[in-house]
Amino acid sequence: MNLREGEGTPTTGTVTALIVEELVKDYRTRKGPVRALAGVSFRVEEGEIVGLLGANGAGKTTAIKILCGLLRPTSGRATVLGLSPSRPEVARRVAALLEGSRNVYWRLSVEENLRFFAGLQGVPPREARRRSADLVARFGLGDKRRTTANLLSQGMKQKLALACALVKGTPLLLLDEPTLGLDVETSHELRGMIRELAVSEGKTVLLSSHDMGVVEDTCRRVVILSRGRVVADDLVPNLLALFQTRAYRVSLRDGLPAEARARLATRLPTLRLLEAERALEVELSPDQDVYALMDALREAGVAVEGVSRAEPDLEDVFLRIVRGER
Amino acid sequence: MTYLWTFRAVLVRFLIELKRYPLNTLSSLATLYIVFLILFTGARYAQGLGVNLFGEGLEGLVVGYLVWTFAIIAYSDLSWELMREAQQGTLEQLYMCPLGFRFVSASWIVASFLVSLAWVAALLGLMMVTTGQLLLLPLGSLVPLLLLTVAPVYGIGFMMAGLALVYKRIQAFFQILQFVFVALVAFPADTLWGKALPLSLGTRLLGRVMVDGDTLATLPRTDVLVLVATAVFYLVLGIGVFRLFEGVAKDRGLLAHY
Repeated sequence: MNLREGEGTPTTGTVTALIVEELVKDYRTRKGPVRALAGVSFRVEEGEIVGLLGANGAGKTTAIKILCGLLRPTSGRATVLGLSPSRPEVARRVAALLEGSRNVYWRLSVEENLRFFAGLQGVPPREARRRSADLVARFGLGDKRRTTANLLSQGMKQKLALACALVKGTPLLLLDEPTLGLDVETSHELRGMIRELAVSEGKTVLLSSHDMGVVEDTCRRVVILSRGRVVADDLVPNLLALFQTRAYRVSLRDGLPAEARARLATRLPTLRLLEAERALEVELSPDQDVYALMDALREAGVAVEGVSRAEPDLEDVFLRIVRGER
Repeated sequence: MTYLWTFRAVLVRFLIELKRYPLNTLSSLATLYIVFLILFTGARYAQGLGVNLFGEGLEGLVVGYLVWTFAIIAYSDLSWELMREAQQGTLEQLYMCPLGFRFVSASWIVASFLVSLAWVAALLGLMMVTTGQLLLLPLGSLVPLLLLTVAPVYGIGFMMAGLALVYKRIQAFFQILQFVFVALVAFPADTLWGKALPLSLGTRLLGRVMVDGDTLATLPRTDVLVLVATAVFYLVLGIGVFRLFEGVAKDRGLLAHY
């Protein structure tokens, strides 16, 4: 990997925290070489929260580990705040949560883990104690601060792992599947914490996940990986707009009799019946408007309970991009 | 100061883990003492029959066993620890230390050496009471000699840790090496080849200090130089081999696998 110092700092005034250019990573396996990354390129600006989205095996963890200096790329280049990831000094600027709760010492208590990781970063003991107390309070681990990590619930272990990454006080955080295996409530709590990191502390976050909800909730921009390639790199609203349709969802009071359905189908060819939800979805053509939809429903004698715009979520966008629809 | 705080963090963690599992720590010490008792009883019985199993008498047994114990602790502390770290997923975090993984390992070795000194002192006390053989303990000569004697073992520990990073299950090697260490402790250090092997020369020199009343200053200068050279050689070789395997592990993405 080549390194040209300061390359992460363009002259425009914004600072590029991460630069990934044409990264290729091949793994040797018994069945022959496997290409995990096939020329991945993306950038992350300082203060951004960027999601790295992809199915299992898409290359997310490989990309993150290369940025941490834990894996050597086969070819290509990466810089972390202007430094090559292979240099130990990078660790002053970047902390990572890898494989969730496996990053903490199970025999150490919450406080001991936090102080150890602060010390490992070279933080003086008094400051380590202060940071540790602050994070224990912020993550709601006060009651468990003297409990060894092996006795914590999965959610708490995950919070502790994130706190251990934060205690290092680095400006850049790489989070690999931070909400993996968490219940809905804890996952939402952790998403809030991650969002707050960028807003209140100005941290740059690269977060990998295969959970669309997590990425949609926390990230401003998304890089979608599929089979080791970047298939999309855009702001979340732009990606959602890409698949924005004039689709409406109509909730039905009494279901849709066959006769009414046949009548509707001639006027609304895109009609899709969602029987389980007692609703139908219609995508209007450019010459139709909501009034045309309402007229058709009234004429077919359909009892309507409500009408709403059917918005695509990131999951729809992801699936359609990966399937190659755009 | 960053170096100091990182070393302190490693040392404190080492001590916390020892304290958290006192039974494990005490049982290890008890096992070592029981093995010594068995050896001692056997040696005394042989002495009664007119056979001197340990050339230098019972003092030789005490010194040899002491060095072997120290070697086992040193070697297993380092290589087991690295395997444990890989297994529990914390090894990658240690690799992300700003001072580099090698500094973390070096801190671990110093922490382990300091704690081993305490164990070996306790074991030595028990052994001296059991055998009735009072040994001389000039710490100024003993500590550097012990460090130089076990330095090659740390080198071997690094090699094994490197192997474990790539090949994972190498426990069988571990057990075999324990017996190899016994042979090395007992190996006569009267030829240059004998002196160049790990542990053999160090054990003899420690014997001279603890039994014959020598000090670091009165030991043959050449022997001390050979001891320093072998310590540096094996340590550098071990770290070199470890780096080689570390590179392979980074290429293949094996640092976190177990």
